[in-house]
Amino acid sequence: MAHPQIAAFARLANGNAKPTRSIAGQNSAITRTIHDMAYNPITDEIVIPQFYAQAIMTYRGGANGDEKPIRIIMGPDTQMTTPARLALDPIHKEVFIPLEDTILVFPSDAEGNVKPIRTIKGPDTMLGATALTVDPVNNLLIASGQRPRKGDERAVESGRNGHILIFNRTDNGNVKPKAQIFGPKSKILLTALITVYPPTKMILAGMPSREKSSPNNWVGVWSETDNGDVPPRWMIGGPNQMLRQVRGITVVPKTKEVIVSDKYVNAVMTYHFPEIF
Amino acid sequence: MARVRLFRNRAGGLGILALLALIATVVLWGAGGQLRPAQKATGQPQLVSVEPLPQADGERCEWEPASAANSSLFASFQQQFAPPAADVTEAEKLAASRRKPIRVINDPWGAFSAVAVDPIHNEVLMTDENKFRIVAYDRLENTPPNAKLSEPKRMIHGEDTEIEFQCSLYIDPANGDIYAVNNDTLGKMAVFPHGANGNAKPARYLNTPMATFGVAVDERTQELMLTVQDDAAVVTFKKTATGKDSPIRTLQGPRTLMADPHGIAYNPKTDQIYVSNWGSVNVHKRPASGKYSGTLNRGIGRDNWPVGRNDAVPGSGKFMPPSITVYPRDASWDTPPIRVIQGPRTQLNWPTALSIDHERGELYVANDPVDSVLVFKADANGDVAPIRVLKGPKTLIKNPTSVFADLKNQELWVANFGNHTATVYKLGASGDAPPLRVIRSGPIEAPAPMMGNPHTLTWDSKRDELLVAN
Repeated sequence: MAHPQIAAFARLANGNAKPTRSIAGQNSAITRTIHDMAYNPITDEIVIPQFYAQAIMTYRGGANGDEKPIRIIMGPDTQMTTPARLALDPIHKEVFIPLEDTILVFPSDAEGNVKPIRTIKGPDTMLGATALTVDPVNNLLIASGQRPRKGDERAVESGRNGHILIFNRTDNGNVKPKAQIFGPKSKILLTALITVYPPTKMILAGMPSREKSSPNNWVGVWSETDNGDVPPRWMIGGPNQMLRQVRGITVVPKTKEVIVSDKYVNAVMTYHFPEIF
Repeated sequence: MARVRLFRNRAGGLGILALLALIATVVLWGAGGQLRPAQKATGQPQLVSVEPLPQADGERCEWEPASAANSSLFASFQQQFAPPAADVTEAEKLAASRRKPIRVINDPWGAFSAVAVDPIHNEVLMTDENKFRIVAYDRLENTPPNAKLSEPKRMIHGEDTEIEFQCSLYIDPANGDIYAVNNDTLGKMAVFPHGANGNAKPARYLNTPMATFGVAVDERTQELMLTVQDDAAVVTFKKTATGKDSPIRTLQGPRTLMADPHGIAYNPKTDQIYVSNWGSVNVHKRPASGKYSGTLNRGIGRDNWPVGRNDAVPGSGKFMPPSITVYPRDASWDTPPIRVIQGPRTQLNWPTALSIDHERGELYVANDPVDSVLVFKADANGDVAPIRVLKGPKTLIKNPTSVFADLKNQELWVANFGNHTATVYKLGASGDAPPLRVIRSGPIEAPAPMMGNPHTLTWDSKRDELLVAN
C-alpha cells in the first residue's frame, strides 16, 4: 500500500467522502500498514502500534497532518518484537500488545523504554493471539488468533484452527484462559480484529476467509459467557454479502451501529444492528 | 421528564449513580472537557442543567451524553448490564446476516499509485490501488477539462490477475512486458506480456519477501532488484526469476543504513543503486547457526533470503531521518552505503519513489505528504538541497507516490494518489509548473479518500468521527 494514513471521516459520511483530516508524513512516524488503533475517550488520544520501530505511539485526539506523537513507548526493556496490534483499557490506563504466544501489558501513559507490568505467556495460556480487546467493565481480556497447531489433529483435520480466548483482565504469567471459543460449530476459520460491547457482554470478531477474496467473510458475535464449540449468536455482513476480506470493527452505541472495514472492497461499511446493543 | 430524573430511574441504585457520577466526572470534566462558565469545580457531583429529553425510538428513552461520553465504555456505566442475547432462530440469524450496510465509504474512481512508460508501444501504464488494476493509456492521452475521466485502452483487472496493492511498475523496454510489484497482501510480483487485458492470469509470477515496494532492473546484467520494507533489504533476482526462485544476493543489515526502504533506482552509467528510506527500522539478526525461515516463512528452502521479522531483536527499533542511500549494484549483506543524502536541507519527507535520468545525472524523488517532486544531482551526498523542486497548485501534484523519467520523450511522469491523476511535465520542469498533460481517472472535483487497505478503524466519540487507518 503506497500511502499510509489515519484519516478521519464524519460518522455519517457515505460514498466518495473527503476526510475531515488525515495524519500522515515524516513527523507522524507512521508507516505501512497500521494494523490496529484505539481511541481513548477519557484522554482524547489516538493510540497505534508501529512494528518497524517496535513502538506504541500516542497522538492527540484531534491530530492532523504531519503531526508528531505526544508519547512513544519503545526500547529494549519493552521486549516488543513486532507489535502489529493492540488493545487499550482507558479506565485502568493500560495498553496490551499481542505477540502471538505472548501478551505484554504496559501503562498507557508510560513513555520511553519501560518494562511490561504484566506478561501472559506459557503453555497453559493456549496462545496464539494476533488481536486483542479489553472489557474494563467485566474485567476481561479477549484474544483472537490461531490455535497452536502442534499435536492439534482436530484443527488440522477440520481446517479450522482459529479461536477466541477469554482471560481475566489482570491475568499474569502462565495462566489458563477462562474460556476458549473454537471448533466447527463456531465457524471460526481465521480471525481478524476484535472488539467488545461491555453492557451486553458481546464479542465481535472479524471472520476473514483464507482466499484473497471470498464471499465467505463476516463478523461473528459471541457472548463473553460462551465457552467451547459455540455457534455465533449473530453473523453480520455475511457470508455471501458485500464483505470480501474483513479487517477492522468498531461499534457506535448511540446509534446501534457496527462499522466494518474491508481490505478487498477497500471500503468502510456501516450496519445498523440494534440486536447486540 | 427531565434528564436528571432519568438518571435515577435507569441506574436504579445509589452505587451505580455514584459510579456514573464518578466516571462522568472523569470523562466529561477530568480530561479534555470544559466547565461551563456557571459551573464551579466542587469535587462533588452537581446539577449542571435541566434539559428536555430528546425523542427516542419506541418507549425506551436513551440518554445521550455529550461529546466524549458517547463511547461504548461510557455506555457501560450508563445502563444496567443486559443479559446475553436471547436465543434466536436460525431464520432470524440468516436474515440478519443478509442485512445491507446503511452507509459505505468507498472511492468509485481509480487511485494511481505507480506509473511507467512503455517506450516502444508509446503507452503509459499506471497501477490503481483502489480498484486493484493496471491501466494502459496512449502516452499522449490528455483528459479534457470538461470530461469526467479518460477511459483506458486496456485494463488488467480481475480475480485471476494477482493484482491488489501494486506499489511499483517496470516496463521492459525491449518487449513491453509489465512487471507489477505487490506490497503487503499477496507476496507476488506479477509479470504480464504487453497487450494483456481483462482478467488475465500473469504470464509468470515471483514469490517475493513480505512488503516489497520498489523495483529496478539492470538490463545489461538482466538483474531485477526489489526493496523490502519489512526486512530493510534489497533483494536481487534474475530478471527471469519465477515461482520460488531464490535471490542471487541480498543487501541487508544495520550498516546499510536502510530503514523502511521504498523507492529504488538503478544508474547504468555508474552501476549504482539508489534506495529511498522513510526511517523506521529494527535489527534482524541472523541466527548463529542453522537455517532461518524469513518473514512469514517465505524463505524456507530458498537461499540468500533476507532475515525476517521472526529474528527481530526485541526493542531494537528506532526512528532515523529520511534518507537516500547509494550502493554499488552488486553490494550484498551488511555493506555500508557509498553516499547518503540526508538532513534538513534535503526536504525529504516520506521519499516514496525514485527515478533516474542518467543522461543528465539527475535523481527524481516523489515526496508524498508535501506534494512535491525533488530533484538531486546523481552524485549528491550529505545534507544537500535539491537542485530543483516541482511543487505548487499549478502542478496539480497531490500525494505523489511514483515518478518516472521518460528519457526517450524527455518527460517526467508523476502518479498522484491524492487526486485521481497522473501528470506529465518536461524533464527539467521546476517550481509551480503546470503539467503538459493530465490523465484523470475521475472527475476534477471528486474527493479522494485515499483509502488503501483500510486495516483498522475506531470511533472518535468526541468528534463523532470514524478514524480509518491504511
